[in-house]
Amino acid sequence: MAQTTSGTVAAATPGTGVATVYDDAIVKMFFTAAVGWAVVGMLVGVMIALELAWWPANMGIPQITFGRLRPLHTNAVIFAFAGNVCFTGIYHSMQRLLKTRMFSDVLSRIHFWGWQGIIVLAAVTLPMGMTQSKEYAELIWPIDVLIAIVWVIFGVNFFGTIARRKVKHLYVAIWFYMSFVITIAVLHIVNNLAIPATLTRSYPVYAGLTDALVQWWYGHNAVGFFLTTPFLGLMYYYLPRAAERPVYSYRLSILHFWALVFLYIWAGPHHLLYSALPDWAQTLGMVFSIMLLAPSWGGMLNGLLTLKGAWDRVRTDPILKFMVVAVSFYGMSTFEGPMMAIRSVNALAHFTNWVIGHVHSGALGWVGMMSFGMLYWLVQNLWKRPLAHPKWANHHFWLATIGIVLYTVSMWAAGLMEGLQWRALNDAGQLATPAFLDITHRLNPFMWIRLTGGAMYLTGAVMMAINFWQTIRGPGAEVSPTPVPVAAD
Amino acid sequence: MSKETNRLLGHADEADGIEEYDNPLPDWWVGLFWFTIVWAVGYGLWYHVIAHRSEVKQLQDEMAAAAVRWPAPSPVTSSTFTITPDEVTRGADVFAKNCVPCHGADMKGVIGPSLIDDEWIHGGQGAEILHTIANGVLDKGMPPWGTMLPPEQVRDVAAYVITKNSEATGRPISAIMAPPDTAKGAGGADSDSTAGTGGGPGSAGATAPPNGEA
Repeated sequence: MAQTTSGTVAAATPGTGVATVYDDAIVKMFFTAAVGWAVVGMLVGVMIALELAWWPANMGIPQITFGRLRPLHTNAVIFAFAGNVCFTGIYHSMQRLLKTRMFSDVLSRIHFWGWQGIIVLAAVTLPMGMTQSKEYAELIWPIDVLIAIVWVIFGVNFFGTIARRKVKHLYVAIWFYMSFVITIAVLHIVNNLAIPATLTRSYPVYAGLTDALVQWWYGHNAVGFFLTTPFLGLMYYYLPRAAERPVYSYRLSILHFWALVFLYIWAGPHHLLYSALPDWAQTLGMVFSIMLLAPSWGGMLNGLLTLKGAWDRVRTDPILKFMVVAVSFYGMSTFEGPMMAIRSVNALAHFTNWVIGHVHSGALGWVGMMSFGMLYWLVQNLWKRPLAHPKWANHHFWLATIGIVLYTVSMWAAGLMEGLQWRALNDAGQLATPAFLDITHRLNPFMWIRLTGGAMYLTGAVMMAINFWQTIRGPGAEVSPTPVPVAAD
Repeated sequence: MSKETNRLLGHADEADGIEEYDNPLPDWWVGLFWFTIVWAVGYGLWYHVIAHRSEVKQLQDEMAAAAVRWPAPSPVTSSTFTITPDEVTRGADVFAKNCVPCHGADMKGVIGPSLIDDEWIHGGQGAEILHTIANGVLDKGMPPWGTMLPPEQVRDVAAYVITKNSEATGRPISAIMAPPDTAKGAGGADSDSTAGTGGGPGSAGATAPPNGEA
């Protein structure tokens, strides 16, 4: 990479006098990938939102019908966008938190190119209809094997870096990153255990209900350990850095970390309420979801209270605005989640668009906004130059915020409406709307509102990408060939 | 939050300059956490040990309550089944709303069989057709419309189907409406048929279910 020289930052290691040089080139690579995949993943999301509002948009081409593009959208935004955001933040912050360069530059690059290759394979196979039909684990077995290999390489590099750290105390962000690296490896490998039949087809080793339970143990904890704990780690590093404030409570950070990782892993059965799953297992999933409320809010509290004394800057600084909204949506959706896991609420909400609204308040609100805040902070710190269009960051913030509100409110309304109409009875005790299709037709206005919200969110992301491009490559951008000492940072 | 000390822990040199306060946990947060834990244990005990609730019991309770509130509806019977122009008109509407996805707007069949040929899988007499619509054939994917539509709508749509079938096949409505056991060419009843005791003319020898052909 041509950026290696300019992307390298040196720091004097205390006591030794030997300069430690951080590998920021790899951070820039992941950064670029994250921004690119953000636009791609969200564009596919807007495309399928359009197909739900107006089906002829699929143009009769099988490869771009909803059923093929939906897994492409989820894989692209979760594993490509959010994944690369995590790697960007982890590679950047862990070197600084541990005062050491990454364990191996070669492993870093195998991780980067391996991960991008996996995403490209996903983008080819999913539209071709190759899937193992497990939500968020659709990719066929050869790609699953690649993911496992690349993840283990990342794990070796990650723990190798921790092993040769030059600090004693591990900052809380590192704990959150560790839970991400370990748990995703376990979840991915266990859920994808399968016996290959052909190159593109395999059969899971689990049958029937066991398969469903393993799948939702995986699916729920993919949300927990891919979209929650690493992003809490990022919050614990980038929010206090951006706000230049001390973290509110060390004790709270430790306690809510352990409570969160312990409780999260049991809550998966709430995806299978009112199924063939034994009642006791359903109860387990429900009560562990309820107990998850306080540990989740611990993260929100520590984020919001860290901003005490910096609220004047929150009004003006787009980075802090993104982070405040992110943390607020985290608190909102981690309240909504436990409520939806209650049996009687779930009976109404399950299979409705409310679930789609819930997952997007977490995904667009928490993951997306935290990512944007981090990326805006990083682009200026990595490339050492101010944003090309500072005002655009503010426009992006408002487009995204209003977009999320349109998205979630329309899906709440649609979900409640269809949930109530599915169960509504007439005076004779018969279904008030026996034809499912009638209710589907009534959802149409909400589908258009959701499309509008999603398109606004995408527009903001495109503005961010252009802003970053012009910040990094635009005219007048200074190129700094000499390493910048990190001590002055 | 008056217990805030805002005392720095002094770890910043090991956290890239990020300071941490050693503030205590907010009381209400600790209270919320304990409340959810106690509630979780209490709910589990109540659900499984005290109230002995279960998914199956909930269904039984709901069905029992429904049986009290809505006594069993008068079953759709053929005793009052006649075909009038009004019924056919209303039946066309019922058909368009409920039957088109499977049987097609042209009634030639989509995933369900054609309704305008001379082949009746579950009996081709009026009473049998009415019975099939009302009770469904779950094995073949035909829902029991008697549980979803009012009895008069079931009769309306049966009248409509019979009329259209008669128009297409030339079989007189009077022949279709004749009682199943007196119909000419009645075949033996399929053992698992829900369509009554007699097969229609078209069902003679049709013991192998020809579903999916249409």
